[in-house]
Amino acid sequence: MDKAEIKKRVEKVIAQVLKIDPKEITPNANFAFDLGADSMQSIELIAAFEEEFNIQMDEQKAREVQTVEGAVDFIAGYLK
Amino acid sequence: MPEIPAARAKDLEHIFYPKSVAVLGTNRVVGTVPYDIFANILRDNFQGIVYPVSPKERSVAGVRAYKYVLDIPDPVDLAILVFPSTVCNLALEQCGQKGVKAAIIISAGFREIGGAGIQREEEIKAIAKKHNISFIGPNCLGVINTDPLSHLNASFARKMPAEGNIAFLSQSGALCTAVLDYAQAKHIGFSKFVSFGNKANINELDLMRYLKNDPKTKVILVYLEEITDGAGLMNVAHEIITETGKPILVLKSGRTREGAAAAASHTGSLAGSDEVCDAALKQAGVIRCTTVEEMFNTAIALAYQPLPRGNRVAIITNAGGPGVLATDAAVAQKLSLATFSPETLEVYKKSLPATANIKNPVDVIGDARADRYKVALGSALKDVNVDGVLVILTPQSMTDIENIAREVCNTIGQFDKPAYASFMGEKDVAAGISILQQRSIPHYVLPESMCRAFAGALFFKNYREMKPEDLQVFSSVQKEKAGSVLQGALNAGRKYLPEEESVKILEAYGLPTLLSGLAKSGADAAAIGERIGFPVVMKVVSDDIVHKFDVKGVVLDIRSRTQAEEAYDSIISDIGKVMPDAKIKGIYVQRMVTKGEEVILGVKRDPSFGAVIMFGLGGLFVEVFRDVSFRVAPVGPRSASEMIREIKAYDMLAGARGKKPRDIRSVEECIQRLSKLALDFPEIKELDINPLIVNDEGGGCYVADARIML
Repeated sequence: MDKAEIKKRVEKVIAQVLKIDPKEITPNANFAFDLGADSMQSIELIAAFEEEFNIQMDEQKAREVQTVEGAVDFIAGYLK
Repeated sequence: MPEIPAARAKDLEHIFYPKSVAVLGTNRVVGTVPYDIFANILRDNFQGIVYPVSPKERSVAGVRAYKYVLDIPDPVDLAILVFPSTVCNLALEQCGQKGVKAAIIISAGFREIGGAGIQREEEIKAIAKKHNISFIGPNCLGVINTDPLSHLNASFARKMPAEGNIAFLSQSGALCTAVLDYAQAKHIGFSKFVSFGNKANINELDLMRYLKNDPKTKVILVYLEEITDGAGLMNVAHEIITETGKPILVLKSGRTREGAAAAASHTGSLAGSDEVCDAALKQAGVIRCTTVEEMFNTAIALAYQPLPRGNRVAIITNAGGPGVLATDAAVAQKLSLATFSPETLEVYKKSLPATANIKNPVDVIGDARADRYKVALGSALKDVNVDGVLVILTPQSMTDIENIAREVCNTIGQFDKPAYASFMGEKDVAAGISILQQRSIPHYVLPESMCRAFAGALFFKNYREMKPEDLQVFSSVQKEKAGSVLQGALNAGRKYLPEEESVKILEAYGLPTLLSGLAKSGADAAAIGERIGFPVVMKVVSDDIVHKFDVKGVVLDIRSRTQAEEAYDSIISDIGKVMPDAKIKGIYVQRMVTKGEEVILGVKRDPSFGAVIMFGLGGLFVEVFRDVSFRVAPVGPRSASEMIREIKAYDMLAGARGKKPRDIRSVEECIQRLSKLALDFPEIKELDINPLIVNDEGGGCYVADARIML
């Protein structure tokens, strides 16, 4: 799966979980600061990414990811 | 003490009296910290403008929200951060760009969790420094200002407290919520209420300095879990008390002796951090409390009533037993029962029943109604021999509790003299207590608490009236001589100065030492003994031996040349058996003093308060009973005298059971000289003079043994 495809699907998941307009999602957007994710939603995001990409992520490391771009790179690492 | 810098004072003004507040990271979820903080500001009638800043909400509680603080079109005085800790840096950075000068960081997840949290805290400190932002927190409950000019409840406390003249500063947020609930039930109001959390920027000293000039605050309460700058706290407290007359009450948790366990000297092991803290706070005029209840008991006495002029109290009661209990409690707190003037006794004779006890404690008898309380209380308050009145009521079938409560309030209000009340019981007296509390009459569940509060107020009054202490100047001190001995040890990398060197240093500071000399042979010892005069004591000198007695390194009461030679050989031989590798520098031969009382003097370097001086009686008193007193240096003549007089065994020195009094004045001088030495040489970590032998009055005292740790 190429990066563009991952990015598209990541943004779709974020919009669904955080219930926001996909247009607000930019590569540098911070989940908490720019998109308003609270701690519960951060956990929901991790679960939703795992389901979307059928992967099992290291939760500790996943929680350190703060931006959309960071999430795309992090997930890409699992799909190699 | 330096005044609070103007910039910092202004920033604190922005925290307590902002014209506009932005809550960064709020949301619409009722019952969460981010929402409740915003809702509290809104609901509690804040007098300025409040802006919600929420990344994804268009509005919060019906107020238009902004995505970023930078989007707010108007200036923002105060930012309240409720974002997760991981993004507080981003929020604070934007605050800096917006020109916000003050912030309250509520979020947890910083230094208190260790690891990455420490790094996060350092990062927000750096951002704040870059943009000149002063902030409270992180990891706190927030700030409340009840002043109607601001009426800011920037906290997630359940309720805003009533307006009052007590300020409460707390390192613990959770304690704040409990205190607010406790205070509300007792009708206690606050002027300012601050949870300062990790105090990464604004600390308790900044807040205390601000409150010093706050016209709404009369009494300052501080809850601390750690004292990081003890000397600073003492300075600030002393200045507030002496310049503005505002009492400071400190509740400091962590009264353990763990820190003392590893100490190498007597003084070290006795001067645990809590004992030092106790002494230092008292020295600065601070009233240290052991419980929240005790703190508020004393605070309401100070906040609601005038200070007592002296310790003479009148007790007025409608029952004998509680009167006796109150009398015992008063005496235990060093209060005395006032002797009424003839005029007062005359009024009592005329107005009270024949069965009433008209001497102190005044028993107005169980069937007393409001009129009897009025006459008893009014006359006592009027009496020039009375400094304060303690009113006790027990609920008996004929007791008109509420009317009595009203009469007590009315009568107390007519006099400029303190009066407190204890309506004993709970259910039946509740309405009466409520009347007292609403009229700001200090009420106590038990007479014992009432007496303790009175004693606290009296301590404060006495401290305020105490003249500043002038330090004695000792012209004979040879600082350079002492310095060269210390330097020699430091150059050699030694951490311990044996008696011989320690005595030289003490001698340079004018402490009376005994004639002595260092012997390198038996013949030497005999010659020194003859020169300084027998009897002598001989002690081994070795860097490898700290506890000389334990290795038979000390021989006492040597009375001749022959005995001196024998003692020399026996010490060398005994140590050779138990510590064959110990390097012996020689044997210290010292004049022996056989009479006198043994006391101990010491110095300890406390990490928070600095040089601390200790005094106690020697032997069992110090070892078993820990009967010692402390003062933070510098110690002047009055403090030195108090140190000696406040130990329980003081009578042993003053001349108990027909004994002659000892030369206390010479000990006072030693304490002051030791204080100067400790301040002149911060490299002295611990110092023991054990014992200092004190002769009868006029006979002076002598350092019989000493050691210094660097």
